[in-house]
Amino acid sequence: MTSIKETHLIQERPPVTRHSRRSTWLKINDRLFKYTTWISASLLMITLAAIILFIAKTGFLVFGDVSVVDFFFSAEWAPDEEKYGSAIFIFGTLALTLLTLLIATPISVGIAVFMAEIAPERLKRALNSLLNLLVGIPSIVYGYLGLTVLLPFLRKVTGQPLADGLLASAIVLAIMVLPTITTISSDAISFVPREYREAAYGLGATRLQTIIYIILPAARNGIISAIILGMARALGETMAVVMVIGNVAQWPNGLFTPTAVLTSNIVMQILNVQYDSTWNYALYMMAFILLIISLFLIILIRLMRPKGV
Amino acid sequence: MKLFKNIGIIALATTILFGSAAAVKPTAVLAAEKKLSGKVVVAGSSALLPLTQQAAKEFKKKYPKVSIPASAAGSITGPQSVEKGAADIGACDWNATQDVPGFKAFAGQVAHPVAVIPFATIVHKDVKVDNLTKDQLVKIFTGKITNWKEVGGADAKIVVINRSFGSGTRVNYEMKALGGESIKKSDDKNTYKEVGKSGEMLTNVANTPNSIGYIDLVYVNDTVKAIKYEGVEPTVENVKNGKYPIWGVGYYLTKGEPKGATKAFIEYVQSKEFQQGSVKKMKFIPISEMKDQIEKLNKDTK
Repeated sequence: MTSIKETHLIQERPPVTRHSRRSTWLKINDRLFKYTTWISASLLMITLAAIILFIAKTGFLVFGDVSVVDFFFSAEWAPDEEKYGSAIFIFGTLALTLLTLLIATPISVGIAVFMAEIAPERLKRALNSLLNLLVGIPSIVYGYLGLTVLLPFLRKVTGQPLADGLLASAIVLAIMVLPTITTISSDAISFVPREYREAAYGLGATRLQTIIYIILPAARNGIISAIILGMARALGETMAVVMVIGNVAQWPNGLFTPTAVLTSNIVMQILNVQYDSTWNYALYMMAFILLIISLFLIILIRLMRPKGV
Repeated sequence: MKLFKNIGIIALATTILFGSAAAVKPTAVLAAEKKLSGKVVVAGSSALLPLTQQAAKEFKKKYPKVSIPASAAGSITGPQSVEKGAADIGACDWNATQDVPGFKAFAGQVAHPVAVIPFATIVHKDVKVDNLTKDQLVKIFTGKITNWKEVGGADAKIVVINRSFGSGTRVNYEMKALGGESIKKSDDKNTYKEVGKSGEMLTNVANTPNSIGYIDLVYVNDTVKAIKYEGVEPTVENVKNGKYPIWGVGYYLTKGEPKGATKAFIEYVQSKEFQQGSVKKMKFIPISEMKDQIEKLNKDTK
């Protein structure tokens, strides 16, 4: 009576004699599943590679008509005069992303700390649901609200004729990335081991001191990941930005000057241009720049991953 | 057995998915009148969009099997989409088979005039100015006049809302209202903005105090104020009797001669029933009533 040995045998090899059809069946089934998953993964990789290759291939064609220096550093964007300087858009994208993070990060981390440390359980769950709802709102709705609610408000408050520009876009984007940064930071903060907190309280620290000096530094990697993810979202956001940024290719001489960024310029012009034109290649190159910045940020997150998460 | 069943279901689903994807390509099916079916994709001018949508509604009542998805992203996208094969009809506020300032002619397309489009200068409701001369308009839209008080209004900076490149409304406005001048922004960077479609122009002028823009009459409602040009009100009558010069001709462009459902739709839009009915109701003007002026215009521009 070796039940263990028997089960061992059964697990190692399906019984050959009585169920020979079933065994080959199982083998085919197994192989099929393996190939299906392999094909799915490869399809995904091929699609991604194809997208990147297509954008890069079309984008690099622009350097046949425009010099690299001109494209990246000239601020004259006048396609009807064959001028394709994208410095304004590149600066705009970077400045807008930075400004968004400056506005969103303190608020997000604050809410995250509140949720993880201070809020009672029910309030925490309510806040979580609220944040998930905010994430679900389509970006065009944010843009429309920005256009019809935020801009008139800014005009009244600052007396500006047209409040479009970097600040309005940054405010809209900050609201959009807030849920992302908050939820991930909140998770990072709750992962800080309980021992740290108890040790701090044991040493006589107040709650604020514990949070600032112990918990936040310990959750630092997770919070930075959260910020970078928020940055990646803000970087690629198009519809919300295009409605409040003014869409004029000029250097902003303040937070309230209509200007343009990579995403808003692409969406405003891509339908109007002919495929085989330098203008089109220039727009594709801008898309490629966006892709590179995003890839760079994602690599950064992977490097900052806290160990074991 | 269960595996076969699953594979079968997946195969069926995939076939249906790819089959329907293949059927989505825009084709016009040649068929008898009542059995007319197919899809007519219309893209291009946002000025003509209300006209296309109304015509699509009425056409569908006659031929329920024809579907007419209409979209707008600016006149230039009309002939462009037709060229690429992404649309059956390109709606454009100018005759895209000829050169216009800023845009080359599109070869191999046929232009079908559908309506005369009157354009109006619009300002925010609180702007006190009711009338602007051509000279004043040119100076405002090229950045030389920057304050409403210079033209009889309040002391406030003029905010110019312009259409982006590719807009037929802009092409017509620059040609007719500004006498060929291109719109330029002033030195004050904070008072100029560009939008992509007629609907956005309306929303922006309605919501931005001290703003000025331009749009076709069908969009004008009581959220904005349409002002007079050289003392003439922007109305259909004034366009017809020649007093109000800011108008253009809307065209539907097709790749070569249209066939099937596309042909039937264009014929409907050009038919007396539609021209004398909805075209008039929507403050466009039937082509037949402006024949002389259009001929004169074509002669002048040649």
